[in-house]
Amino acid sequence: MTATTITAPAPRAARRRPVAWTRLAWVTMRQHRPALIGAAVFLGLVSLYLLIMGLQINHAYAQVASCHPASSGACQQLARAFTQEYWGGGGGGAVSAGGAQTVSSLMLVVPVMLGIFLGAPVLAREFETGTFRFAWTQGCGRSRWAVSKLVLLAVVVTAVTWAFTELFTWYYHAFLVDGQVSRLLPLAFGLLGVAFAAWTLAAFAIAAFFGALIRRTLPAMATTLVTWTVLAIGTATWLRQHYQAPLKTTALNPPAGAWIIGNYATGPNGQVLSQRAFNQLAQQAPASVQNSPNPSALQNWLAQQHYTQWTSYEPASRFWHFQVIEAGWLVALSAILIAASVWLVRRRAA
Amino acid sequence: MNIIESAGLGKRYRRTWALRDCTLGIPAGHVVALVGPNGAGKTTLLNMAVGLAVPTAGTVTVLGGLPAGSPDALDRIAFVAQDAPLYKNLPVADMLHVARNLNRRWDHQRAQARLAELGIPLNKKVGHLSGGQKAQLALTVALARRPDLLVLDEPLASLDPLARHDFIQSVMETVAAEGVSVVLSSHVVAELERMANYLIVLSFGQVQVAGEVDDLVAEYGASLEKIVLAAMRESGREVAA
Repeated sequence: MTATTITAPAPRAARRRPVAWTRLAWVTMRQHRPALIGAAVFLGLVSLYLLIMGLQINHAYAQVASCHPASSGACQQLARAFTQEYWGGGGGGAVSAGGAQTVSSLMLVVPVMLGIFLGAPVLAREFETGTFRFAWTQGCGRSRWAVSKLVLLAVVVTAVTWAFTELFTWYYHAFLVDGQVSRLLPLAFGLLGVAFAAWTLAAFAIAAFFGALIRRTLPAMATTLVTWTVLAIGTATWLRQHYQAPLKTTALNPPAGAWIIGNYATGPNGQVLSQRAFNQLAQQAPASVQNSPNPSALQNWLAQQHYTQWTSYEPASRFWHFQVIEAGWLVALSAILIAASVWLVRRRAA
Repeated sequence: MNIIESAGLGKRYRRTWALRDCTLGIPAGHVVALVGPNGAGKTTLLNMAVGLAVPTAGTVTVLGGLPAGSPDALDRIAFVAQDAPLYKNLPVADMLHVARNLNRRWDHQRAQARLAELGIPLNKKVGHLSGGQKAQLALTVALARRPDLLVLDEPLASLDPLARHDFIQSVMETVAAEGVSVVLSSHVVAELERMANYLIVLSFGQVQVAGEVDDLVAEYGASLEKIVLAAMRESGREVAA
């Protein structure tokens, strides 16, 4: 008896070929078809808007770029009008609703919306409706089932948002090209390069993980929204500038396209002044300096007192370096969360 | 060969034992009724046998020694959970394709023929089917997998009398045609007399009675229903004492 039980399973295991991934992929695509179509329609509408606006912007910008000589009053006027109309917010005071500044602010929440919409139901719906009892008792086994769903959807989400980034970059090009808007600015960085796709992937993975953990769709969505937002804001306001130590300059205007991190002043011995100490110092400057329209007047006066004003910044040339770092840790985080979701599925008892 | 065999099997959910010290061997080729009051541990036992739940204590094997939930076991056991969970938003035809693509063994012609016979339209959404139709669809999906063992958890609970009759008829025809082993749980005894030839009474997480129906009837000199009720009362008295 013992001999047969030891030898019998071996040939069967050898004969056994698992259910093909392509067939599991069909199941995933069929089950999530409504959500995928919804996401595609949404992105399609946004793309259409970006396409129409992008054509207008590029047409208007061509006129600005071809204006000659660029330093003439007429050309400056043209450039200002362009910025005011299409970027919005600047100069005129009124923020134009369709300005690229407003559009890009709204775009920042697209990754989390897509991620939540597609990621939260993948496992949570199965728990909510009890269909996991069906899915996990089929011949393919629950691990393969979970891996096929999460990995395929993650790849689709990443690929589609990556393609979308190309369109957005084209739309945004006119504002970035002369370094007026830094590519590293929080408003731009997350929407360009590979960051947009990476943040969407992260939102998807977080949502799928909370779906497996909480086992209910709406709470998983809410938890993901909070977690992702905290992560995104923390990264933009604190983490990102630490990818590489900022450069510093005493020049009043840092190089074009630089992302300005902060300003500070150092004293005669090189010590950094607190904001309050600096304000007190600046108030000691003669009225002629304080009221001067020329910003370098204060700097010159400070230099005479052996104080130096510094601007710390990240140069535009670091854009891709930062993109790769950010996408790198976001992809790693997503992979860990997807693996953790599969692990939860494996160990979850009915 | 025993289709389900357990030794000292137990499952605890937080502090309460849903099933305790359950030792049994269910021989192949029967229609086995697993009977007991609500909360007796029937679903827990079946969940462990099909690999959905992991035992807290003891062991359970299926189909002659396969570990429950192993790839081979999943391949050869078809399980229909309580309320026959299926994807409600899919049309019947797509539900069949989903099941087909999740399994290595699948008999599509059989599934389609069966649905045609039952008059279940392929283009209707699963969520729009009647309770009886939904139960029949779940059974169709399970049978299309050509299982060696069919496990049904409370298949009759949510069905009206006519649907119950039809469902039992379907199961009996399958058994007669292919000799598949069936294990089904129920807290209603009356209908089981027509289909079951092996009885297990589970109460308070323990096996009270187990054996061939004919043997039990001969031994106790009573009907199936009376045997079940007597076993439940007996266990209730033991627990009370």
